[in-house]
Amino acid sequence: MARAWEVPGLRGDARFRDAAGRVIWTRWTEMMSYREGTLLGEDIEELHAMRVSSRRLRAAMDAFEGAFPPKSFKGYLRQVKEITDVLGDARDLDVAIERLTGLLQGLRRDERAGIEGLIARYRQERAAEDPAISALFDRIDETGFEERLAGYVEKHTGVRLAKLKPAPPEA
Amino acid sequence: MAKPRPVTGLHPDRRLRPNARRILQVRIDEVYSFDGLVADPANVTELHDMRIACKRLRYLLEIFGIAFEADLEPFLDEVKGLQDLLGDIHDCDVQIPMLEGHLRWLSDREGGAARRLVAQTTASRPRRRTAPPKPASEAAFRVFERQLETGRRGDERVGVHALIARRRRERDELYARFMDTWRRLKAERFRPRLEAAVGIEGDA
Repeated sequence: MARAWEVPGLRGDARFRDAAGRVIWTRWTEMMSYREGTLLGEDIEELHAMRVSSRRLRAAMDAFEGAFPPKSFKGYLRQVKEITDVLGDARDLDVAIERLTGLLQGLRRDERAGIEGLIARYRQERAAEDPAISALFDRIDETGFEERLAGYVEKHTGVRLAKLKPAPPEA
Repeated sequence: MAKPRPVTGLHPDRRLRPNARRILQVRIDEVYSFDGLVADPANVTELHDMRIACKRLRYLLEIFGIAFEADLEPFLDEVKGLQDLLGDIHDCDVQIPMLEGHLRWLSDREGGAARRLVAQTTASRPRRRTAPPKPASEAAFRVFERQLETGRRGDERVGVHALIARRRRERDELYARFMDTWRRLKAERFRPRLEAAVGIEGDA
C-alpha cells in the first residue's frame, strides 16, 4: 500500500483549525497525484493508491469536520465520498479478478470453467467502470472543485495552501 | 452503513490534543457499542458497522497520533487487525450472494439461449404438411431446456458452487478468528489502556 504523505508543518501542539487545513490539503494533493496513472489504466496499483488516499482524505475530513461550518462542509464531503465510491467499485472488481485468477491454478479441471466464466464477466463489468471514472474527474474539473476546496480550506483554517507544498515520502 | 455519532463540544481554535481526545472518546465508544451484537455470526449488518467504526477509529489514531506523547502505534495495529478481519468477513458476506446471483444469471442466459434455439428450430422446420405444426408442450420444452443447460453451461456451475462452499468455510474461520481477537483485546483491557494513553479519564 502507498505510504501516506508527511503533512508539512504539522506539530503536536498545533491548533485544531491549523491542523485541519494542513492535513486535508496534503491528503487532497496526495490523492490527486495518482489521477493520471488511474486514468491511464495500465497499472491497477495506481487506482488502488488513489482509492487508499481518498479514504485517508475522507477520514481527515471526518476528523476535522468540527473546524468548518457544518452545512457548507457537507457538500465537499459528498464530493470526496463520490470519488471514493467510484474508485471503490472499480477496485473491488480488480481485486475479485486478481483473486479469482490466482485461484484458478489450484482448482480441479471441472471447477475451472465456472471461475473462468466469472472472471470474464467481471472483466466486462470492470471495463464499464473506466468511463465512469473519467466522467467523474471531468466533472471535478468542470465545476472547479479543487479551486473551491482550496479557497474554502484556506478561509476556515487560515493555512496558506500555496506555501504548504506537500510531497510524496522519499523512497 | 451506520452514520458516525456526532461529536459535540469541539473548540477549533484550541489545540489539537483536547479536541482529538473528545473525538477519540466518541469513536472508541462507537466501536465498543457493538460488543454483544457481534457475538452472533448471523448479525451481518452489525459486523459490517463495527468494521466501519474500527476504520474510523484507526484513521483517527493515525491522524491524531502526533498530538499525544504515548506511542499509539500498538493500539493502531490492534484496531487495524480487527478492521482487516471484519473486512474479510464482509467480503465473504458480499461475495456469497453475488456468486449465488451469478448462478441465477447463468440459468437465465441458458433459458434465453434455449428459447432462441426453440424458436429457430420451429422456424426452420420443413413444412410438408398443410396443417401448422403443433407447438411443443411446456413439459417437452422443459426437458429440452434442461438438456440444453446441462450441455451448454451446466459445467460452469461446478466451479461457482465450489467457490461458494469455499467462501462459507473461510467466513466461519474468519469469524472464529475475529471473536478470538475481540475476546483477547477485552481480556487485555485494550479500551482502558487506549483511553489512558490519550488521556481520557475513566476507570483505567
